[in-house]
Parts: sequence; structure tokens; C-alpha cells
Amino acid sequence: MQKYEKLEKIGEGTYGTVFKAKNRESLEIVALKRVRLDDDDEGVPSSALREICLLKELKHKNIVRLYDVLHSEKKLTLVFEHCDQDLKKYFDSLNGEIDPDIVKSFMYQLLRGLAFCHSRNVLHRDLKPQNLLINKNGELKLADFGLARAFGIPVKCYSAEVVTLWYRPPDVLFGAKLYTTSIDMWSAGCIFAELANAGRPLFPGSDVDDQLKRIFKLLGTPTEDTWPGMNLLPDFKPFPMYHPSMSFSQVAPKLTAKGRDLLQRLLVCNPSQRMSADDAMSHIYFSDLNVAIKSERCLQ
Amino acid sequence: MAGNFWQSSHYQQWVLDKQDLVRERRHDLAILTDEEYQKIFIFFANFIQILGEQLKLRQQVIATATVYFKRFYARNSLKCIDPLLLAPTCVFLASKVEEFGVISGSRLLSTCQTVVKNKLNYAYAQEFPYRTNHILECEFYLLEHLDCCLIVFQPYRPLLQLVQDIGHEDQLLALAWRVINDSLRTDVCLLYPPYQIAIGCLQIACVILQKDLKSWFAELNVDLEKIQEIARLIMNLLELWKSYDEKKEIQGLLAKMPKPKTQPSR
Repeated sequence: MQKYEKLEKIGEGTYGTVFKAKNRESLEIVALKRVRLDDDDEGVPSSALREICLLKELKHKNIVRLYDVLHSEKKLTLVFEHCDQDLKKYFDSLNGEIDPDIVKSFMYQLLRGLAFCHSRNVLHRDLKPQNLLINKNGELKLADFGLARAFGIPVKCYSAEVVTLWYRPPDVLFGAKLYTTSIDMWSAGCIFAELANAGRPLFPGSDVDDQLKRIFKLLGTPTEDTWPGMNLLPDFKPFPMYHPSMSFSQVAPKLTAKGRDLLQRLLVCNPSQRMSADDAMSHIYFSDLNVAIKSERCLQ
Repeated sequence: MAGNFWQSSHYQQWVLDKQDLVRERRHDLAILTDEEYQKIFIFFANFIQILGEQLKLRQQVIATATVYFKRFYARNSLKCIDPLLLAPTCVFLASKVEEFGVISGSRLLSTCQTVVKNKLNYAYAQEFPYRTNHILECEFYLLEHLDCCLIVFQPYRPLLQLVQDIGHEDQLLALAWRVINDSLRTDVCLLYPPYQIAIGCLQIACVILQKDLKSWFAELNVDLEKIQEIARLIMNLLELWKSYDEKKEIQGLLAKMPKPKTQPSR
């Protein structure tokens, strides 16, 4: 631990406190995540292990880098690349205005990070603005993989209720236990709308029922035709037949028609119809994206 | 996950070559012969297997634990950590990484005690000497020496795909699967990518069942020399295993094994 000088507390993560710190030799600023080992019987918490082993496999410009893992007496410290703020804090600083080019750039980088995770068989499962870090260069990075898991390992059920309510897709809200990459794509859609609206969350539900109601009021209640198998989901319950009351131009008024088209392809109740990260990246909305961002070297 | 193996930490950091192993083991092999060294690893792989079965773990978790164990000693002498402590620690770590559901330290400990007392009493006259805090401390060292590379690719999935390609062959699959389990007692998991190991194990199973799949093997786009090396290493193991009475020899081997200077205090 002599290697780093602790500067200030940044926040509380899933399983420990996060500090900003400086490498005494290189003067590089890093983020230190101290892992609490309070449960004497579990050893290193599985959420921390998950993050460690996945980040070891995921080296990409749009995924936060894990530099090092430090061991000391009964403590584990993860050393991450430091980013200036998370997307939530960035929203708070906006005063309701956001540059459409930034929306496009952040969304593209989010999709690129996700496409990489998905190509490596990793689901994030907990995407939300707090877990997206941004730095001064306008780079966006996926962070907090404490709930992520590799899906290549054949396990039928993943633990239920893992995504923050607001960014949870309807299939998960209905108790679906077989998760696929589509879970992250719904969250990406919600974050896209929130970006476009300079930080106003799209579906700020207060509980599962309210969450579903908000979704169906906007998108229309799905039926067995639009979503076969829906009523077989473990926690399925019928909802009133809402018809889309608002058009997407009201939902995200600042978004261009192309942007709204992308949003609509992500926010699809039936998970099998939701657009993939790869396809979303080649959507026409991004055709005029700054070339410098598009052609970046991402593998690290 | 087959397509991603080539970018994984498993491929990039943990497919070793024979010279590495020889070099890293030279201290242990100054004291033990090659054969004695292998016998010790057979014994501890069995210990991990029994522990896993007692804890009702899936074979994937047991295999991952065994690979952690082999990786640790591929870079360290047996005297760095007593394998009797490292083996359950590997099971503990693997069960969390493979998301089997956490085994509590106390349950693991009581399983170790029972297994050593009831199944390994021919090797250990005394009871299991470690406590939960030793396992938790050891977990740190293990994590560090594995350089946090915890995702291990196993030959089981490639095997399933291969057998599916051959056609409906339940007997072949079951036998090749067991050969893969056995292969964990050799160095193949340290030296070769898992899909090659799967092919090697399949070949052995074909020989045992006298199935002629030569033309099918010939069409696989693989380095057949590597497959032969794998098959040879596993066949050597099976020979060694047959010709040796663990119950008689193991106490002598464990006595001869290089050990940590300090023994655990209770």
C-alpha cells in the first residue's frame, strides 16, 4: 500500500469504499477499491472475485481497466484506472442541456464496450449511469462488474433481481431467469433516452408494478402475438391494455428521427426482438459520428 | 466460449511450455523423482475430487480447482504452501468463481476433516491440521500467484461439440469425459489448449472402445503431433496408476516431499 497515496474518498461501491489515490512513483492517479472482508466465512467476496476475473479478461478502451490487486493483512485492494466522474454526476452538472454530439459519442462508446463484453460472453447485468465512468477526454467506460458474469458457463438460472429497477427490462421484471445479452441492451436503451434528455430518467419506477406500468404506458402492453411466451414467465401478471399514448418524439424531443429509430429498436419488450450491440453500432444514427471516435483502437 | 479462448488470460498467460515446467520444478525434482512428483499430484488431485464430490460440486468446479492447484505449483515449489492446505483453498476459490454458490469456510473445513479422517487415513495418521483462517489467508496467496487469472477453459465443452459432430455416441462421450477427468492428474492442462486435450481424450476413448474413427480425426484441422503428445502423457499416467499401490507408498512420499519450514500452530 506504500505505493499509493490516498487522496480522497470517491464513493461506496457494491462491496467496499472507493478512494482516489496517487501512485507515488509514477504520479498516476488511480481509483482504489477496498474490499471489505467482514464475513469471516466467505473469504474474498464473490462479487469482488467476479469483477477481478472478468476484468482480467476484458481489456478494452471502453471498459475500466483493473491495473492491480493488492493484498495485505486481511484486506484486498483493487487498483483501477481513475475517471473524473460517473455519468450520473455528469448529468447533475448539465442544467438540462446536452450537446447532441456528446449524446451520440457516449452512446456509441457504451455500445462498443457492451459489444466487446458480449463478444467475450460476459453480461454486465447492472448498467446504470452510476456505473458508466467518463473522463476529461470524453471517453466513456463501463465499470462495476460486481454483478456481471460470464454466460458461457452452462448454468440454467442466474440469480433473480440483479438490475437496478429503472433499467430493468420487462422480461426480468416478470421473473425471467434465463438472461441473455438482451438484458444489457434494454438498459442501454434507457440510458440512451436519459442521455438525450440530459439526465431525466426514462422509467423512474418505484416498484416492480409501477416500473412495468410506466414501460407499457409508453410502449403499449405486449401481447402473446408481439411477445410469445410472455405469460409463461414466473412472475407474469396481466396488465391493462395500454396503447402507446406518447410518440417517441415526445419522449426524447431533442433526438433526431434516426436517433428515435435506434431508441425504438432497443426498447422492445420482447427480448428476442431487441437489437444487439453490434447491430446498434452500425445503425444509421451513427453514420455521421466523429470519425476519430469510430476508428479508435480499442483493444488494449 | 471457444472463440474467445485465444484472447483469454488462459491462453495468453497459462499455456506453458515444458521447459518452463522443468525449470520451475528443479528444486522439487532435486528431492523427488519425476515419478514420485507425479504420484504426489495424483494423490492431491484425488483429494480435490473427493472434496468436490462430498460438497456436491459440479465436475467443472472440481476441474477448475485442480487447474488452480496445478498452476500454483507450476510456478512454486511444494515447500511454499503445504498442498494439503492449498487443495481445499483451490476448491473454495473455484466454487466462487464458477458461481456454484459459496461454500462457507466452516463447511469446507468440516468436510476436509471428515475426508482426511475417513478416506485418507492411509496417508495421514493425524487429523486435518488447518483451520478456516488458514484457508482464508491461503486464498490471498493463491489469487496473487494465479495473477488473478481465474477463468479457466475446460475440455468438457469442446468434447460435447466433437461428440455431437461424430453422431450419437453416449458410450464414447461418457468414456472420453472420464479420460478428461483423469487428465487433470497430468500436466496437459498446463501445456495444451483445452480443445486439443478434448481431442486427445477422445482418441484414447476410441482406442479403448476399439472404435475406428481415423478418417474423422484426419479431417479435423489440428496439429496431430500435439494430440499424440497429449495422448501419450495420459496413457503414461494410466500405466503409472495401474502399477502402483498408493495406500502403501503415499506415506513415504509425503514424508519425503519438500515442506514449508513452519507447521501450522493451533
